[in-house]
Amino acid sequence: MTIEINRIDGDTEAKGSFITNFSSQKLLGQFLVLVTPFLFLLIWHLIAAGTTPLILPNPYDVFMRLVSYFINGRIWPHLFMTTQEILAGFVLGSVLGLGFGTLVSESDIARKVIMPYIIVTQALPKFALAPMLVIWFGFGMAPKVIIAALIAFFPLVENTFMGLTTTPQPQLELFRALRASRITTLLKLRIPHAVPAIFSGFRVALMLSLVGAVVAEYVGANQGLGALIIVSQGTLDTELMFVAFVILTVLGLCLDWLYGLVYKIVLVKLYGKTIDDVSSSTTRLSV
Amino acid sequence: MSGVSNTITNQEKFDRGQIEVDFITKSFDSDAGNILALDGINLEVVPQEFITLVGRSGCGKSTLLRCIGGLISPSTGTIKISGQVVTEPHPQIGYVFQQAVLLPWRTVEENVLLPFEVKGNPTDKEKHKVSEVLEIVGLSDYANHRPGELSGGMQQRVSVSRALVTEPSILLMDEPFGALDAQTREDMNIELLRIWEVAKTTIVFVTHDIGEALFLSDRVVLMSARPGKVHDIIEVNSPRPRTFDQVENDPAFWKMRQRIREALH
Repeated sequence: MTIEINRIDGDTEAKGSFITNFSSQKLLGQFLVLVTPFLFLLIWHLIAAGTTPLILPNPYDVFMRLVSYFINGRIWPHLFMTTQEILAGFVLGSVLGLGFGTLVSESDIARKVIMPYIIVTQALPKFALAPMLVIWFGFGMAPKVIIAALIAFFPLVENTFMGLTTTPQPQLELFRALRASRITTLLKLRIPHAVPAIFSGFRVALMLSLVGAVVAEYVGANQGLGALIIVSQGTLDTELMFVAFVILTVLGLCLDWLYGLVYKIVLVKLYGKTIDDVSSSTTRLSV
Repeated sequence: MSGVSNTITNQEKFDRGQIEVDFITKSFDSDAGNILALDGINLEVVPQEFITLVGRSGCGKSTLLRCIGGLISPSTGTIKISGQVVTEPHPQIGYVFQQAVLLPWRTVEENVLLPFEVKGNPTDKEKHKVSEVLEIVGLSDYANHRPGELSGGMQQRVSVSRALVTEPSILLMDEPFGALDAQTREDMNIELLRIWEVAKTTIVFVTHDIGEALFLSDRVVLMSARPGKVHDIIEVNSPRPRTFDQVENDPAFWKMRQRIREALH
């Protein structure tokens, strides 16, 4: 409706009506942000009412079950185990990914020799390895960490390689004019330039580690949120399964939030106050 | 003059500031075959001279500058810096590029410190030198700012500071003010001459702006294109300080301007 009024008002009122239009849109936006979750829960509730708890449990029941699991403390070993697997897999995969990414971007020989294997590992569906890893390493943490690391590995290799090989030509020329050694150019130019690219690799790797750890738990685990889902499947306890879903979602959000926090700290340290200009200033220099 | 604590004496700088370009050619391979960018360039630049290379785009003036700077090597012929044949970037040369080429993750001060850091751990004396140079170009108040917070003119000033901080005997400048607006450009030209007089370096300055060349230099080297050759060398005899008004309107400058214009056509 506001839009139509604006049209009639014409040019003289354009600025003022733009502002009112903008603020009313903003209000509408805020309203929708607040209302949507309730709407979602309402629809969930209505559908659940039409079926049995075996198919879709009621959101309220799921919530109460969630609370009870936290109160009686039965959730902690699972949550703790899965978090540990995610973080260990992420760290292992990232360190390896960073190392190999640097290696293949520094040496042509390494690129020719190693890159095909990296691509083959990537083409291989890593979840298919999970049963074998269980045979090798048992039902403990090791197979999950390995799967998570394998999945986290590739985005890091790729982003590190991309970041290190896209240094703007003028900056490289400057370092050549300054008679900088190869290692100095890597440390003082190419790595700092690659930081934003490497960090977006971290983000993808972190989310993939979560997927890797949980799916690896499906294959064989005593503990963990994935194991909890498999147990609830066996006992047809859909409610418990939903509890695990909710916890996994919140865990993913927390990890992403943590990533964002670290990224912000690093960027402020690197680029100072002009944090918003990071992308623009890098593009400007690379033109 | 004031403010600059020289670690290298002016006499030493004088001894190192000579450039001899001895009949060099430079050709590039391209899809269209071999392109001759420079054809038999002969040039001698005396110490502490301000010389400009003027010509249309594609005449090879930047290529010549990059050869002198040791960033690329000539196909035939040699370039000597004070008798020493150039095979790689010479330590006595400071380079100012067309763009400021600052590292956005470093502050102004850290950007100017870069040449020392590349050599090893900067000493206190070198750090002190950085603040001195920033003082000279009027950027002391911006030492802790990031390049992204500065205007184009200020960024280029940081870039000039970075080239000056190692007290080079020769400064090579590749259209450094080409991207700036006319007023800022004039300010930078005046400032550059002031710095040149204090720093006692040889400057080879590439530009396509005739007025800028006449205002700045002792000699203007006119280059013609395809293949790049030295067409003419014009001595600018007018004493300094010159004004832009003079360069625009003085009959003596008019003559030189006319000569350059005709040559460029």
